[in-house]
Amino acid sequence: MEVSANDMGEVTVVAIRGNVDGLTADQLMEHFTAHVAAGKVRLVADCAGLDYTSSAGLRTLLGTVKAARQKGGDLRLAAVRPPVLKVLQLSGFTSILKSYDDVPAAVASYAA
Amino acid sequence: MRPVQTAEHPGTAEHLPAFLDFIDNACRGAGVDEDASMALRLAVEEVCLNLIRYGYADASPGPIALEFRVEDDAIRLTVRDRAPPFDPRDAPAPDLTSDVLTRPLGGLGLHLVRCLMDEISYCSDTERGNRLTLLKRSAISGKDD
Repeated sequence: MEVSANDMGEVTVVAIRGNVDGLTADQLMEHFTAHVAAGKVRLVADCAGLDYTSSAGLRTLLGTVKAARQKGGDLRLAAVRPPVLKVLQLSGFTSILKSYDDVPAAVASYAA
Repeated sequence: MRPVQTAEHPGTAEHLPAFLDFIDNACRGAGVDEDASMALRLAVEEVCLNLIRYGYADASPGPIALEFRVEDDAIRLTVRDRAPPFDPRDAPAPDLTSDVLTRPLGGLGLHLVRCLMDEISYCSDTERGNRLTLLKRSAISGKDD
């Protein structure tokens, strides 16, 4: 898994590439936790390069969206590919996480 | 002749990469579709982590043995272990509907396995240990059954 972050105005875009699983989810959680701790609570997860997530990745997303919303922000998803989307749907996450076709749409949603 | 591949390692977290490499390589070698490969990888990860974190939590870790078997266009994956018996089909259903702030963080792994596999069977006996069998149908495109 590779993670990189890019600030776009008041929104922080976290690009996730590869697999988020029991081996890598803690590393991703550390990234998100650092952003929230720094007050960067308007988050977008760019999932265009995300190939796979297990329940470990879902716990990271849920923990992050909870932390961000408690501070007045949110975690929104962009460019989720079908295999990952299926896992999100089966887990009931599509009803709690807002998802957009691409990063610009997800970033723009914070201005709405 | 039906291709069968096996792997056995101690049920500890440091061996999770070996289990994941095994299923990734087996799926690639058998020409398993992307969706089915993801489902089988997820099943291996969730079942193995459950054994590592809970099944072997109160005892010195025993083995986890995987068997990957191609059956026409389906994949039959068998997981054997020596942990106290636990039928994954009996795991409580997770909360999928409550508000985000009150939704529990756990309980999704075995739920996903149940959703993504087409058949699950489980048996346990004191002599041979536990055997979980997972079947993924239509896993290989273009292969007639």
